[in-house]
Amino acid sequence: MTLNLFYFLSFLAVLSALMVVFSKNPVYSVLYLIITFFTIAGHYILLDAQFLAVVHVIVYAGAIMVLFLYVIMLLNLNRESEPHKSNILKFAAVICAGLLLVVLVGSLKGTEAIVQQSGKAGIGYVKTLGEVMFKEFLLPFEITSILLLAAMVGAVMLGKSEKTNDTI
Amino acid sequence: MNALFVICGLGIISLIAEIANFRKWLISIIVLGLLGAAALVVADWNTAVAYYHDMLVFDNFSLAFTGLIIGSSLLWFWTASDFFEALFHKTDKSALILFAIAGGVLMTSFNNMAMLFLGIEILSISLYVLAGSRKEDLGSNEAAFKYFLMGSFATGFLLFGITLVYGATGTFQINTIANYVLTHAGELPSFFYAGALLMLIGLAFKISAVPFHFWAPDVYEGSPTAVTGFMSTVVKIAAIASFFKIFATCFSTIAPVWYTILLVIMVLTLVIANITAVYQNSVKRMLAYSSVGHVGYILLAFLADHKESDGTIFFYLAAYAVSSLAAFGALILVGGKEENTLVERFNGLFKRNPIVAVGLTIALLSLAGIPPLPGFFGKYLVFAMAINNGMIPYVIVAIVTSLIGVYYYFRVIIAMYFKDAVAEPLKVSTSKEVLIVVLILITLALGIFPDFLIQLL
Repeated sequence: MTLNLFYFLSFLAVLSALMVVFSKNPVYSVLYLIITFFTIAGHYILLDAQFLAVVHVIVYAGAIMVLFLYVIMLLNLNRESEPHKSNILKFAAVICAGLLLVVLVGSLKGTEAIVQQSGKAGIGYVKTLGEVMFKEFLLPFEITSILLLAAMVGAVMLGKSEKTNDTI
Repeated sequence: MNALFVICGLGIISLIAEIANFRKWLISIIVLGLLGAAALVVADWNTAVAYYHDMLVFDNFSLAFTGLIIGSSLLWFWTASDFFEALFHKTDKSALILFAIAGGVLMTSFNNMAMLFLGIEILSISLYVLAGSRKEDLGSNEAAFKYFLMGSFATGFLLFGITLVYGATGTFQINTIANYVLTHAGELPSFFYAGALLMLIGLAFKISAVPFHFWAPDVYEGSPTAVTGFMSTVVKIAAIASFFKIFATCFSTIAPVWYTILLVIMVLTLVIANITAVYQNSVKRMLAYSSVGHVGYILLAFLADHKESDGTIFFYLAAYAVSSLAAFGALILVGGKEENTLVERFNGLFKRNPIVAVGLTIALLSLAGIPPLPGFFGKYLVFAMAINNGMIPYVIVAIVTSLIGVYYYFRVIIAMYFKDAVAEPLKVSTSKEVLIVVLILITLALGIFPDFLIQLL
């Protein structure tokens, strides 16, 4: 069952990743990328890493992809306005991506030894993470609120207009 | 620890001040709160307690640097009072400054890489915004944007380094990492060293050592002068404290790996920063290069003996912070509303306002390292330490660069005394005159009784 699910998810992931590259319309590319992220989140769940799966969906499929869509819509990118890419550019891109593939395959081949070391059960559960976060890492968790508060105050300060006098 | 809570609380209080309408009292509340925080630091002296599963340790090193940060912030609030007089965002600015100070305190007292990262981020994010707080000014926008891009890049390096170190040692606690490195000396994976070097790069960005200093002059010049003063004192103290803490504990045993790299960085910092400073026409930009140059002397002390140099570095930073605050305080007064700090603007300053001119002169002489001012004793301690550890060629380089330093500091001094005044007398409020006298007195006191600070650590 798990194995079949794995093959199904992998098939979907590879297929949608290919569609990201091959679809002509950038908006479709982004939508296919969202599917890719969801399938990868499914892989995380199969690996017992629930928290990672949820964060992956929220951050990548949610926040970052919405940002992508906004940028594409703001720039009004579509098939007609897409600049023509010369063959030499495509050739260079293929070589670069191929080199990245070689590096990734090469490094993943060496990971077998490390995987066997980390056999602690339930390390990816939300419960385990929560226990660590609210016991050992309580202070960093709380201090993060200061970081977010500073970022919020900063955003308001930069965004608020100084022209009008009615606010003071 | 309580000092940290007080500072965070003050930041939140200044946000509430906007709603509850006690903006008038805000600066007094902040100053009182910071004084309270300083008292708490003194009360904690010699205790060295670890808090919250060893996340923070307030030993004497952390307390001394926390005290220095709080002390310079107090003086900074005095020099920069005009910065908070602006029509808009009074409370936002003070909240961001207080959060930045809290981040600085975390950077001096962390005992866990997570706290280091949070401290650096709180400090940096507040400063990105403060750098751009003159919204109508293009230079300020440029400074904020440049600082943001470069800073997030540096944070990326640091974070990648922390991740690799964690992967190799399995812990974020810096003491545990130090022990692990000591006991597993021969069998550390090579990516541990890569992690250490990435952290070196990330932190070198933050202390603005050459060749990672490119953001510093533009950011220092573009930001409002008050914020520049904050960057070159409080931020620098915090960054150097965290640099020292990481490399004197965690990576102390693998010193051969980073020693040569840091040596090159140190020589480059001394030479390039001091030579480039000669060619600057804006005093603010010159002080930016000089603050990069001072990092070189601190690194020289660190390289001479990275375990025992904390007292020297502390004194050097204290001397540097007081002199820099006086210099930037004078710069705020001379620059005026348009923040014009070209050398020509200082022409005949002595005739326009003798107190400001004398204050700036003493600050610049101290930065240049003229006895009996504290800058001289700072440099003397650094050089003595380096000579004792057989670094004579580097000391010669440092002495030559500090002579170059004397040249560019004197350009301003000559302009103040021997050039004809271009404008009418400079009117300065009484509070600022008192401040300059106080800063002169602190500078002289540090110069005459340097032992008091050196013996702290």
